[in-house]
Amino acid sequence: MRLQGRELLEYLCQKFGPTGFENEVADAIIEQLEDNCDRIVKDTFGNVYALIKGESSDRVMISSHMDEVGFMITDIDSDGYIKFSNLGGIDPKVLYGKQVILGNEKTRINGVIAAKAIHHKRREDRFSVTPIKEMYIDIGAKDEDEVKEYVNIGDFGVFNSDFVFFGTDNKYAKGKAIDDRAGCCAMIEIIRRIRENNITLPFDTYFCFTVREEVGLSGARVAAEKVKPSRAIILESTAIGDIAGAPDHKRVADVGSGGVISIMDRSTIYNADFVNFTLNTAKENYIKAQVKRYVSGGNDAGHIHKSGKGVKCVAISMGTRYLHSPACVASMDDYESIRELVFAMLKNMKAEV
Amino acid sequence: MYNTLKQITLVHGVSGHEHRVANTLKEMIAPYCDESYIDALGNLIAVKRGYSENPKKVLLCGHMDEIGFIVNFVEDSGFIRVAPIGGINWVACAFGEVVSENGVHGVLVPNSGTKASDFAPDLMYIDIGADNKKSAERRVKIGDTFVLKSNLTKLNASRVVGRPLDDRAGCGIVLEIAKRVAAEPVADDIYYVFSVQEEVGCRGSKTAAFAIEPDVSLTFDVTGTGDTAGSKPMAVKLGGGAAIKIKDMSVICDSEIVDRLARLSKEKGIKSQLEILAYGGTDTSSIQMTGSGCRAGAISIPSRYIHSGVEMIDMNDYRACINLAFEFIKE
Repeated sequence: MRLQGRELLEYLCQKFGPTGFENEVADAIIEQLEDNCDRIVKDTFGNVYALIKGESSDRVMISSHMDEVGFMITDIDSDGYIKFSNLGGIDPKVLYGKQVILGNEKTRINGVIAAKAIHHKRREDRFSVTPIKEMYIDIGAKDEDEVKEYVNIGDFGVFNSDFVFFGTDNKYAKGKAIDDRAGCCAMIEIIRRIRENNITLPFDTYFCFTVREEVGLSGARVAAEKVKPSRAIILESTAIGDIAGAPDHKRVADVGSGGVISIMDRSTIYNADFVNFTLNTAKENYIKAQVKRYVSGGNDAGHIHKSGKGVKCVAISMGTRYLHSPACVASMDDYESIRELVFAMLKNMKAEV
Repeated sequence: MYNTLKQITLVHGVSGHEHRVANTLKEMIAPYCDESYIDALGNLIAVKRGYSENPKKVLLCGHMDEIGFIVNFVEDSGFIRVAPIGGINWVACAFGEVVSENGVHGVLVPNSGTKASDFAPDLMYIDIGADNKKSAERRVKIGDTFVLKSNLTKLNASRVVGRPLDDRAGCGIVLEIAKRVAAEPVADDIYYVFSVQEEVGCRGSKTAAFAIEPDVSLTFDVTGTGDTAGSKPMAVKLGGGAAIKIKDMSVICDSEIVDRLARLSKEKGIKSQLEILAYGGTDTSSIQMTGSGCRAGAISIPSRYIHSGVEMIDMNDYRACINLAFEFIKE
């Protein structure tokens, strides 16, 4: 079934797609894009490429990653408790008492992340953070054998979290995996819009849905070597500091003020001309956009810009509060700003930027 | 030679913002090369074709970028918060005069009462003499870059102090080699690469080498010395000649290149010393490992007080680097 807008975002976010196990997300994207592009393929690494042919064979790449932070089962003890490791950066404070879904190719099963309850902790340990290695996942099994009827060592897990729209006019979205299914969702909607309006883009445009961003073993690296683009737009989520108690100069950006354009982060210094083109496109089309005000984080651009003979990159991020938790919060206004901005950029891109 | 070097150090070029340096060097090298272009990341690549029918490709590299600061926030007070680009020593930069790519002058200072050991970006700011945010934003915007002011000075007949010698000294050497090659043609194709973004992880030279696919490469960058008060033991000293790199933390140089450079130094009477650097890395590593790899070596310019406002080199070493590299290319 073809979904749109909010329904599509919710559908994608609720898919099971931890780093290294992105097939369910990939299949959902391929299904949503059927008949919409000139070619859609999946590579051996798991990346999905959708091609929209343009007037010139010069190549533009747009990339969003499909994977989300999650867990991997590392051990199962005789009492049926499951030890795990995190996939991607997760704050241990976030974990205790959270619901998760564990799974593999065949099964999905609910569980909770457990540790010693406050009642059982020594007084001096009560307010310290339990390290991940002392936590476990409880799936309600009586012993190891019962666990192994469902899952085994090496299987994956993700947060289990309802997707909710809230706030005035339901403007905000809360859920897991908004990082970076929001980018995937925007790309799908852009592809459809190009097709439905019979628009011919100036350049061959490769929409790349990539794997393994969260652990740095970037699928985008493989994608960039394959596509060999001259320019790339990276759609991401960025942690945002417009939260209680943060000093002004550490706020990064503001939720609701549009896509966050990076100038520099830990992995990339972005091409100044391409950044200016992005900001000007936003201005000319009355689309909200903001410049990232702190040097932090990194994304697939780190690999893409250094690929081949070099690629001009720009990153447009959705400012997301409480990133890498089951309750990421983002603004649907920002989502729409980013979608509109990227669409306008693709239509108006010239050879010189 | 000194005047050329001074001219190159006067141009602003923080990592990611090297276009001014690239344009300056493009003009300077034009008479000495067959063609030149600036690639997607901003690297300047110039080629001088050799007379051989089957020329090898030799890549010579110096990086254009310098360390500096990027504006990430303007306070209501008009003070400017910055983040570092490259390995900034905050103590060395505190109370320094800084200048932006657009020519805005200011001073980089710590919050009042901060201990020197606590100097860090969150406790420092640039004061450009603006009274408030609005007047500051008329001259500076987020993403603008600042550097410690360039200030090359001759101390005596051979020693030079100032910045950014890391690595405009390398750029200067590559340029001087280009002049020599133009005057005295060599068999092989020489690719002069002025790379970007070395200070943030050798990013530019990677894509430049990918495009060129060189057979051999030589990188020219500054290296530390062991001859300052309290310095760690290191065999390199200022005035000791061109430093032939054997290894640093990022690379083990091709041993045949090292041997050949050492032999040429002896045969031609060019002063040299062997370098093993226990910290840091250079474009040598990224060039060595790009594509299917290439034979990579490096000739370093001994330098005291690297990444400060008072980097010091000896012009005799500088000259030795040029002479040694030229003999290498000729052979």
